[in-house]
Amino acid sequence: MQAEVAHPSHTGTYSVDSYGRPIILPGMAGVVANARVGDLVFPWAADHLEPGVSAGNPQRDRYQALQFLACVGNVVRVLNGPAAGAEGRVTGKHAFVLVDFPQDALDVLAPGDALLVRAIGQGLRFLDFDDVAARSCSPTLVDGMGLEIADDGRLRVPVTAEVPAFMMGAGLGMSSEWANCDVMFTRREVVERLGFGDVRLGDVVAMHDQDHRFGRGYRAGMLAFGVVAHGGYGGVPGHGMGVATIFSGPRERFEIVRSPDANLRNHLNLAA
Amino acid sequence: MTRATINDTELLRTALVGDVTSPVLGISPYDVSADGVPFVSVGAGGICYTVRVGSAVHGWAADQVEPGASIANPDAAANEALLLHACVGNRVTVRTGAAAGAAGVVTGKHEAFHAYKHVLVHLAADVLEGLVPGDRLLVHASGRGMTVEGLPELACHSLGPELWEAWAPERAGGQVRLRVTRVLAPEVVGMGSGRVSGATSIALQAGADEALDGLRIGDLVAVRDWDATYITGYHEDRVLVGVVSTGDSPVLGNGPATTILLSGPAAALDFEIDAGANLADLLELG
Repeated sequence: MQAEVAHPSHTGTYSVDSYGRPIILPGMAGVVANARVGDLVFPWAADHLEPGVSAGNPQRDRYQALQFLACVGNVVRVLNGPAAGAEGRVTGKHAFVLVDFPQDALDVLAPGDALLVRAIGQGLRFLDFDDVAARSCSPTLVDGMGLEIADDGRLRVPVTAEVPAFMMGAGLGMSSEWANCDVMFTRREVVERLGFGDVRLGDVVAMHDQDHRFGRGYRAGMLAFGVVAHGGYGGVPGHGMGVATIFSGPRERFEIVRSPDANLRNHLNLAA
Repeated sequence: MTRATINDTELLRTALVGDVTSPVLGISPYDVSADGVPFVSVGAGGICYTVRVGSAVHGWAADQVEPGASIANPDAAANEALLLHACVGNRVTVRTGAAAGAAGVVTGKHEAFHAYKHVLVHLAADVLEGLVPGDRLLVHASGRGMTVEGLPELACHSLGPELWEAWAPERAGGQVRLRVTRVLAPEVVGMGSGRVSGATSIALQAGADEALDGLRIGDLVAVRDWDATYITGYHEDRVLVGVVSTGDSPVLGNGPATTILLSGPAAALDFEIDAGANLADLLELG
């Protein structure tokens, strides 16, 4: 699929953070060269920090196709400019498709550089779990996550953290494949109180009482899994840490295992 | 206890217009329900004769059905202003068409993500019969800038002085006592977090169904641990109060759109559960 490094845009007005302060902060679109998958989510002066490269398409219909069809783990190649030939991986979705490239490529990439996304994953099914819906989850990610079937028949999923339903915010009500769903960490004291200070960009997390099969919403007894796609401390209320859905199904079909290694940097063998 | 007072002498009354809308659909008519079933969305935009303020939110073959007349200004920036300045309870006058001269009342607002933003207007049944999409309505807007005397930390949104008067909140010590039909848990809020509080609605999630049993359009409701001082979002120890403005939705994470009336510290607000705390009764909508 055709894509390009998106340029940041701005309305020319302030937004308001959760402390009632006017804010203008970077993070969305373009290239963030110094915050990458594997780094901590929060300690950045940023709003909706999209790590690495934000890939979009200036044509609305092509942009929508890119949003829906790109999957976490897909290969991305730079087609022109000084980073031409560099290879990266889709690591999440937000307003754009988020791509990690090696550091030497991130240092020279610019908005407008052309990208090729090798999209594969929508339509993926787990043959032994027909009531689990995969969304934006590439075969590469499934292989890399080290998913196992436990002795009792449940799908064992390593995660770094578990999110309670009352923290789910912007992204509810949207399509499962589109962008992500924000966990409303917009104030430092809430991050600390709920123990999420160590969460990293690219972490796989579980979201309780969330049904993300046909859209995203609250449903008791359902579970959704996703990857932490965007971060930053500069939170507009109702937004926060973005989690891109990868699969969802009934709670009893899964065994959640806590593992500090459940991060895309490991699962996708991302280059330094 | 005494009546809580607002800065009513400071509030402006301004004129904004909106035209009666007509429903819109994409090239594919199908949305997908929470259970993965395709359906055609009915109920938002235009005029609805069947569902009125006071009707149940459940039991309609519809997606967020808007009661009465749904209006918007055709200019996007002017529509943003209409959404910000029109307040629940404000008077409305039909300016053009067969129903010209008839009076109505603003009952709520309804926003769909990346799509329409509507102001909802109650009109008598015989007026609705004469109304058509494109008719122009004048909103006598008042309420933006409202503050509650002695409680500057309360943020008022979409709350007209007409509704404040009818609602008649009372002051007791450092608190304002508000009549609502129910107080809801924070996970009931679905689509609508992160929105500008004054202009818009949030959805009460259908997935949290039992909490919404018996809910009616026009019900005043409170949600714990949510703040809407500027932008809607989770905030422990705060609470928001809104009015249910549309019917339920088959879409995951959606449900009855609820227009925000005010928000503030939980310690400053006290709630009296009153099944009659509904716009149909409070504003005597005929």
